Amino acid sequence: MIYFDNSATTFVSDAVKARIIELTEDSLSANPGALHKLGNKAAELYEGIRKETAEFLGAKSEEIYFTSCATESANTAIKGYMSRNKRAGNAVISTRTEHKATLECLEYLSKLGYEIRYVKVGMDGKPVIGSLEEELKKGGVALACFTLVNNETGSVLPFEEITKTIKAVSPDTAIYLDCVQALGKMPINLSAMGADMCSFSGHKIHSVKGNGVLYIRKGVKIDPLILGGGQQEGMRSGTQSPVLAGAFLAALKEVSSEIDEARSEVLKINSYLRKELAERGAKILSPDDSLPYVLNVSFEGFESETMLHCLEIYDIYVSTVSACSAKQKKVSYVLLEMGVDRKTAANAVRLSFSRYNTMDEAVEFIKRVDEIYDQFLVK
Amino acid sequence: MANVLLARMGEVTLKGLNRGSFEIQLKSNLKYRLKKFGNLKIYQSQSRIWIEPKEEDNPNFQSMASAEAIMKAVCQVFGIVSVSLARKFEGDFESIKENAFICVQELLENNPGYTTFKVESKRGNKTFPMTSPEICEELGYQILQKFPNLSVKVKNPDFILNVEIRESNYVYSGKMMAHRGLPVGSCAKGMLLLSGGIDSPVAGFMMATRGMPLDAVYFHSYPYTSDLAKQKVIDLAKIVSGFSGRMTLHIVNFTQIQLDLYKHSPQDMLTVTMRRVMLQIAERLAQKNDCKCLITGESLGQVASQTMEAIAATNEVVKMPILRPLIGIDKQATCDISRNIGAFETSILPYEDCCTVFVAKHPKTHPHPEDIIEAEKDLDIESLVEAGVLGTEDIVIDPF
Repeated sequence: MIYFDNSATTFVSDAVKARIIELTEDSLSANPGALHKLGNKAAELYEGIRKETAEFLGAKSEEIYFTSCATESANTAIKGYMSRNKRAGNAVISTRTEHKATLECLEYLSKLGYEIRYVKVGMDGKPVIGSLEEELKKGGVALACFTLVNNETGSVLPFEEITKTIKAVSPDTAIYLDCVQALGKMPINLSAMGADMCSFSGHKIHSVKGNGVLYIRKGVKIDPLILGGGQQEGMRSGTQSPVLAGAFLAALKEVSSEIDEARSEVLKINSYLRKELAERGAKILSPDDSLPYVLNVSFEGFESETMLHCLEIYDIYVSTVSACSAKQKKVSYVLLEMGVDRKTAANAVRLSFSRYNTMDEAVEFIKRVDEIYDQFLVK
Repeated sequence: MANVLLARMGEVTLKGLNRGSFEIQLKSNLKYRLKKFGNLKIYQSQSRIWIEPKEEDNPNFQSMASAEAIMKAVCQVFGIVSVSLARKFEGDFESIKENAFICVQELLENNPGYTTFKVESKRGNKTFPMTSPEICEELGYQILQKFPNLSVKVKNPDFILNVEIRESNYVYSGKMMAHRGLPVGSCAKGMLLLSGGIDSPVAGFMMATRGMPLDAVYFHSYPYTSDLAKQKVIDLAKIVSGFSGRMTLHIVNFTQIQLDLYKHSPQDMLTVTMRRVMLQIAERLAQKNDCKCLITGESLGQVASQTMEAIAATNEVVKMPILRPLIGIDKQATCDISRNIGAFETSILPYEDCCTVFVAKHPKTHPHPEDIIEAEKDLDIESLVEAGVLGTEDIVIDPF
């Protein structure tokens, strides 16, 4: 099997599996909120995990909240910030290339009467600074939402430049950053970055599904999304799970080690595929300077879904946002926003890698693509 | 006392000397369809079929609510007109009264808005000391005493309480309407060309109402269409089998055939040549599986392949009759039937059964015979058909 769909989800690493088994021991399974000895032990364990997670991300312990997924983190951050900081302004700035977790929250805010302003995006997938300045200058911008690494193209946000622009034009605007596809693939130091809120997901870094993290910089006030027993300082009610938090941390530890080495290995795979595919007439849609973990390619003559199923025959797994339907052609809104034409976007497939992929797999992939062109191309 | 189901037969009762064979078929179909509802006794008396649980604690007969699933299953059996859940008991008028009270009580609990009723009675057992009108009158009076908020209304009451005096006594109210028709198996089998759309499952349903058992054939073009499209067809076959009974779904691996057709026939004739090959494969499979006709969901003029000329062009390649129960039916009416049989939500799932690459932009809507000869001149139709028949996967589909 060749699994090139790591941006959708990753397999659970052995270290994470082992850690989950350890943490499901009876003696660690009490409710961290309980007043008895067992509860105290679980609370201590949980706080330890939180502290260590914070350290790995360059944050303070009290800035880290465990959630069920990055979508929950995004919802909490975006809705919670706008709900709490009503006097900060009525506008939110973002791009149309964000993940649906962000876009749907913005859509929700717009129904509540907030003004959503979208910054233009260039062919490189990056927000156009001039457009950002223009939107900021209109004033009243409470929040800016961006993604550090785009999930469909791997395009990397020039975060420093964006922050500088925002701080220069509209210093009070808070910044929310979706870091899901960046985690473990590039160094992240939250205190140095200066984002106000960030979201992370466990299952994209070889943890299980069901765990995410929300970072809220100290001093930033937001309303919680989930109310209840007041766990996690009231920011995220619901009994804390040392198992899921521990799984996240175990995965984080693994992917945080040798980030550069892993990246250079993945870069080799990416470069090889870029070259070989381009030679075969495929259009590479991921910008040249994107993170090598994602490679978006448009295969001439194959609709996205057909190529996906052709590859599936060879036990190769990739993904696409375009669906083959005679009635309704759904094409990636990210690619269209970047200026990719509809026909090219309709043939786009996303290959996404992890540190566990190999060059042999890349070579095999190309071999299979050749076979698919021979066998299935409808001329 | 036990709850039983009373199913009424329809057209079957109009049959002459062969009525018996229809009834046997109907009972056998009921037995098959109700397999998962426990140990049942199914027997007939006059134009009624009675379905009784052999064990008293059968959960499917306890109340109107718990009997809904089995009643729906009975209604899926063609030949049945309607079904009611009845209380069955022995004894005199006193026992009729007690059971009627319980029945009315349950009815009012489920329908608090009911205020009017009437009693209808049938007395098959002439040894019972009261006549039908006497039973109606006395029972009506007793119910009015017991439930003072109710009043009698002869025209359009909120509910009718039925009493039947036969070998045993029965009390019931209300009935679930079935699809009528003739019992499946009372005529020869047909081969349904099943796609993932709205029409073909309805066409299968309609032929099954006339007693026709079905097999189905689906043309799968993986990887141009996904396995989800195939699963959708399997799900639709399952829905149709709820009415038609067990069927075999023949899934033809159509990919290579479609590629060959694409390469060797003109774009604008692709739909016609493809359908001609499909029908020939379907006919061979039909012959192999003892089917006497083909069934399609074609409706005149609906799409390019369903103009009269296109239908004539596809019709001429097979000898078997092709039944097209939807040929003169409006799309909306087809959709209504589809909803009614519970297929619509599955039919509209967005998994296409034909990839857009094989759909001509401007298909010929009025193909002439010479167009067809020209379109097929470079094709070895016989080997394509043979390949299709050989590359078939069979799946047995049961409704449960």
